[in-house]
Amino acid sequence: MTTANNDVKVKSDRRRFLQFLWRSWTIQASWNYERQMNMGFLYGIAPTLDEIYHDDSDPVVRKHKQEAYDRHMAFYNCTPQTSAFVLGLAASMEKQYAEDRDSFNPDSINAVKTSLMGPLSGVGDSFFQGTVRVIAFGLGISLAQQGNILGPILAMVLSFIPSYVITYYAGKLGFNMGSKYLHELQKGNLMDKVMYVCGIVGLMVVGAMVASMVTIGTPLQFAGTGMQGVIDNILPRLIPLGVTLFMYYLIKRRVPTGWLLTVCIVGGIILNALGIFA
Amino acid sequence: MHMLTVSVLLGLIGVICILDSRWLGRMNFERPLITCTLVGLVLGDVQTGLTVGASLELISLGLVNIGAATPPDMNMASIIAAGFAILTDAGIETALAIAVPISILGQMLGILMRTILSNLTHLADSYIEKEQYRKARNVHIVWGTLLYCLMYFIPIFLAVYVGTDVVQRIVDVVPAWLTNGLGLASKFLTAYGIALLLNMMLNKDLTVFFILGFFIVAYFNLNVTAVAIFACMIALILTGLRFGKGGGSGHAATPDDYDPLEDPLEA
Repeated sequence: MTTANNDVKVKSDRRRFLQFLWRSWTIQASWNYERQMNMGFLYGIAPTLDEIYHDDSDPVVRKHKQEAYDRHMAFYNCTPQTSAFVLGLAASMEKQYAEDRDSFNPDSINAVKTSLMGPLSGVGDSFFQGTVRVIAFGLGISLAQQGNILGPILAMVLSFIPSYVITYYAGKLGFNMGSKYLHELQKGNLMDKVMYVCGIVGLMVVGAMVASMVTIGTPLQFAGTGMQGVIDNILPRLIPLGVTLFMYYLIKRRVPTGWLLTVCIVGGIILNALGIFA
Repeated sequence: MHMLTVSVLLGLIGVICILDSRWLGRMNFERPLITCTLVGLVLGDVQTGLTVGASLELISLGLVNIGAATPPDMNMASIIAAGFAILTDAGIETALAIAVPISILGQMLGILMRTILSNLTHLADSYIEKEQYRKARNVHIVWGTLLYCLMYFIPIFLAVYVGTDVVQRIVDVVPAWLTNGLGLASKFLTAYGIALLLNMMLNKDLTVFFILGFFIVAYFNLNVTAVAIFACMIALILTGLRFGKGGGSGHAATPDDYDPLEDPLEA
């Protein structure tokens, strides 16, 4: 009897975590400037709210339901994968609030959401966009350049696996552990470790890409000697490094994107016609 | 294949592309490397798709939609550019040069869309007011999705359907010096793309790892895969040294100002 009950619980939990996963991934479907992912978050938590406030015949319950829906229309923005943690946590807080309306302040739900957005976007974006994407597509590009269709396939597989695993377990952790787990995370400096590893791997791959994928050279001749050979003896791939750092400098100086793109195209045509770079 | 069919198919690749960030949490299936390969598969020229995809991916590595930023839309532009590269005699360089202005038009369209969707937020608010919860949820999952899909389908369909002839006529008269110049321009754009990525990732403490990655390839000619493997090992070793071997036990073995580069163990 107990095992049967356990089975049912495991199944319904699993369904709940998959629901968090799907609804975290779809959080950007109505991304807008005013409140960003607000409707996405509401869509994510709506099944939990419907489950808590299912009694439509009671006017009090209906009022509470409306308040809850309103509450989750507030401004929200976070990396979808790590957002599952916030969704799980908010769902468990909504349950707690519904069970004990007197001693639980509902404002704390949005306060927790807001306080988590920043750090979880920071770690989520640097992990998924800064590291996973750079490695997956760095490898994918180098294969695709050789005409190998495994390039894009590898990039997709390497992007999918961490995304699926992290979203699923983030939702589960948020729902089960609640705010307690937050302290654990901060105490064990897990975030710092992840950021540190991501930073090292990401930047080394980007350094490798500058040397292998920016292929600018010079056809200039000086007293019968090719300048390219001279440069290669001093420091191989000096031109790609120099051009990349120059672009980095311009970006740091906040030169507008449109200007930079124009400079690249017009500069490329002129420098090529003058025979300085190729 | 009839031009109408081709245009619809490329428009549908655009729908797949936008659904990646709308429905799959931005798994990066929307990126040029993937979408251009899909265009290549649909139009029966996978090699061109792969080459255009790899080049456009390099250019747009640093163009990332995070936070409230709406950068030039290389994802949409890459589908159109790959289509032109296969359907006309435009070389890869020309296709890349076409992609840049399209990506800026796409950016403007994206900003317009996100402004329009702000009104949907008020629509959802009013549905909640009237206790019409299903309608409020549908504003997000149905209408938001639909509008974003159209925002990709329509421009791609029109550009391919109307633009292919125009591009072919332009390509016919482009002189060789211009094509070569665009070749160099695409290399500058690659450097720009990587610089944008650096701008996102670089900080003072970690600069040395960027330089290390560069020199490993410059002097030893290793490929990116090899560098990624070594980078993971270096990162794991340094994490062990920096944070202690406790593995999340909470008491870091080293003080906060600890610098792994000054650690004698590493020499």
